[in-house]
Amino acid sequence: MNRTVRSALLAALLCIASPAIAADTINVCVWGTITGPDALVNGMSYGTHDYFTYLNQNKGGIAGFKVNSLLLDGRYKLDEELKIYRRCVDQENAVFINGWSTGAAKALRETVTQDGVPFISETFSSEVVDPVKYPYVFVAGPTYEQQMLVGLRAAKAAGAKKVVLMHGDNEYGRGPVTVVRKSGEIEKMGLELVDAIEFKYDAQDLTAQLLRVKSKKPDVIYIQSSTPQTLVILRDAAKVGLPPTKFIGNMYNISPTIPQQLGAAAEGFRAIQIYADYGADIPAMKEILTFKAKNEVAKQDVYYMKGWLEGKVMAAGIENAIKKNGGKVPADLKAFRKSIRDETEALKNLDVGGITPPLTFANHQGSTQARMAKVKNGHYVSVGSWIDAR
Amino acid sequence: MATLRKLAVPILFLVTMLASLTLGRFGAYLVHSVAIAAIGALGLNLLTGFCGQISFAQGALLGVGAYTAGNLGNAGWGIWAIVGAGVASAMTSLAIGLPALRLRGLYYAIATLAAQFILEYLFKILEPITNGISGLLIQPLKLFGRPVVGDQALAVLSLALLLAAYSFLRWLMKTNVGRAMLIVRENELVAKGMGIDVARTKIWAFVTSGFITGVAGAMIGFTTRLANPEAFQLSLSVDQVAMIIVGGQGTWAGPFLGAAFVVLLPEAIQRTGEAFDIARLLFALRDMAFGLLIILFLLFEPRGLSALLRRLVRWVSSLLPSTRTSVLTVKSHPSPPGDPNE
Repeated sequence: MNRTVRSALLAALLCIASPAIAADTINVCVWGTITGPDALVNGMSYGTHDYFTYLNQNKGGIAGFKVNSLLLDGRYKLDEELKIYRRCVDQENAVFINGWSTGAAKALRETVTQDGVPFISETFSSEVVDPVKYPYVFVAGPTYEQQMLVGLRAAKAAGAKKVVLMHGDNEYGRGPVTVVRKSGEIEKMGLELVDAIEFKYDAQDLTAQLLRVKSKKPDVIYIQSSTPQTLVILRDAAKVGLPPTKFIGNMYNISPTIPQQLGAAAEGFRAIQIYADYGADIPAMKEILTFKAKNEVAKQDVYYMKGWLEGKVMAAGIENAIKKNGGKVPADLKAFRKSIRDETEALKNLDVGGITPPLTFANHQGSTQARMAKVKNGHYVSVGSWIDAR
Repeated sequence: MATLRKLAVPILFLVTMLASLTLGRFGAYLVHSVAIAAIGALGLNLLTGFCGQISFAQGALLGVGAYTAGNLGNAGWGIWAIVGAGVASAMTSLAIGLPALRLRGLYYAIATLAAQFILEYLFKILEPITNGISGLLIQPLKLFGRPVVGDQALAVLSLALLLAAYSFLRWLMKTNVGRAMLIVRENELVAKGMGIDVARTKIWAFVTSGFITGVAGAMIGFTTRLANPEAFQLSLSVDQVAMIIVGGQGTWAGPFLGAAFVVLLPEAIQRTGEAFDIARLLFALRDMAFGLLIILFLLFEPRGLSALLRRLVRWVSSLLPSTRTSVLTVKSHPSPPGDPNE
């Protein structure tokens, strides 16, 4: 075999082993529950996708390279999400992927690590956050368990003694509650856990469960569930005479839908706030308004802000990787992905336009801080200062 | 000609297997998704299409297969984990089917629906086996001591299992048991009158269908690497029923065509939306389009895609002068709906 043929074969093999990417665009993938049971909070996916459009329209993309952002619908179905992941990695050559559910993040965490693709998920599950075991997986805030601790610490500081936990009968509901109960943190805080009530995730009536809660005479009831279930809980709590001021929900309960639909039955309800609300007087909001002048903003809520923030984190990691490569997009996709991972992990005090305090990603979470927000006159208002959940 | 027809299916499988090896991960993922769905649909087709027992517990039986394979695979059983999953699902199917010896038609369907809900609940509470709500993390399937992790390898394995299931069922339907199932489907009283042991025939159908479904469930477990209760809900049973309705129940091509249709339709709609820049609009319309297509099938072609395919083949054949005679022969002796020889 002559040298030319051997060189050509070697080059072909290298191309197969490490596919090259077009040097003028950067591909990213975003999937969410555009349709499905969690669609109320899908502003997160729109927010990230829109941020890349904003960069293309106003900043010339990232470091002068246009971003090709693909928004897909995972429908909150594991098989659909696994399929989309393969499309993003294999067909779209995405350099950074923004995924959705806890189940998919858990199922994919090892695959993501083997593939070496930076992956940021909407989940806050502690089971996917491990910079050593899963070095390519990132989340954007305190875990569900940490949120629960922030909420209970705030309640304790306000004088609470007895606590009840309410959660859905799925992974998202039961998992974090189990972790916190086993850790003994509730007792260490000086609180007494008087009951933990599990309910069907798609329950439409929880009157019986709330009568049981009432009989325990708790000072605080922490809800580990999503917005649709919290609507049912607060509605039925009003029926049995439990005031909304006793309830605390996690960050997926800070939806404006709750005061809008429940009115007085939501007054005083508290939820965990990690991100600034849509419309807040912060620099990131000015960017969003610039985007809105030319485009439609599908969801105008706090979850959109979370998505916008995740877009900023992804873009910062990509931009730093390009800078490190002398201002060029590396031709080797695998190396580019690895570099983006390293640069995302190295982000320190990243200014996210006031959506959260500056972020450092060495822990793969960014922020571990949260504060309480309370429904007052039909709107969430921040109460108290940021609490670090670590 | 007859030899060629016999060889056509294995050749088709072989070509698909070889093609899977050249596909990217996404393409290979689609191949194994369709193949696994088709194995499950073949199992259901035996029970419903050939033996006339309507079941809505298929999703839960797939779950039994996935959990069993997960536990056995994690314990180092290798390929035997798939066999174990088949056995576990077969036993579960038998347990569900026993009431069918007394129940018929809609009443049996309701009993299987109850079984689906009971099994869903068991998946959640039997934590030592299922790991409860969190789900069971499954190690990669080991074949000859080596992990099978690539989508291409999983596609080839799924196709091999699909071929094995198909071949076994074709053989079964040529035996007395298979023929008895067809008579039981048509009329149980007539079957009894002909000296067929109806109970035993049904038990065969439950066990065989359960085993094949368990194999499909095992492959779901090994491809997703996570078995959790949310993945094996009633909607999965409905998808499986839709596969045999859309494909054509009681036919051989039906489970294949139905599985391909149900698995690939969302992707086809998604890609169409992207091509015309209306993907966001189609997100919402995708499920509706799926439901609408099923209604259209029930209205205009209740015998499913396999009947459409047959008509297409006849039409193409009619264009070829040399085959006209045989087409006319077929037309003059149309097969009854659900004839497995179709």
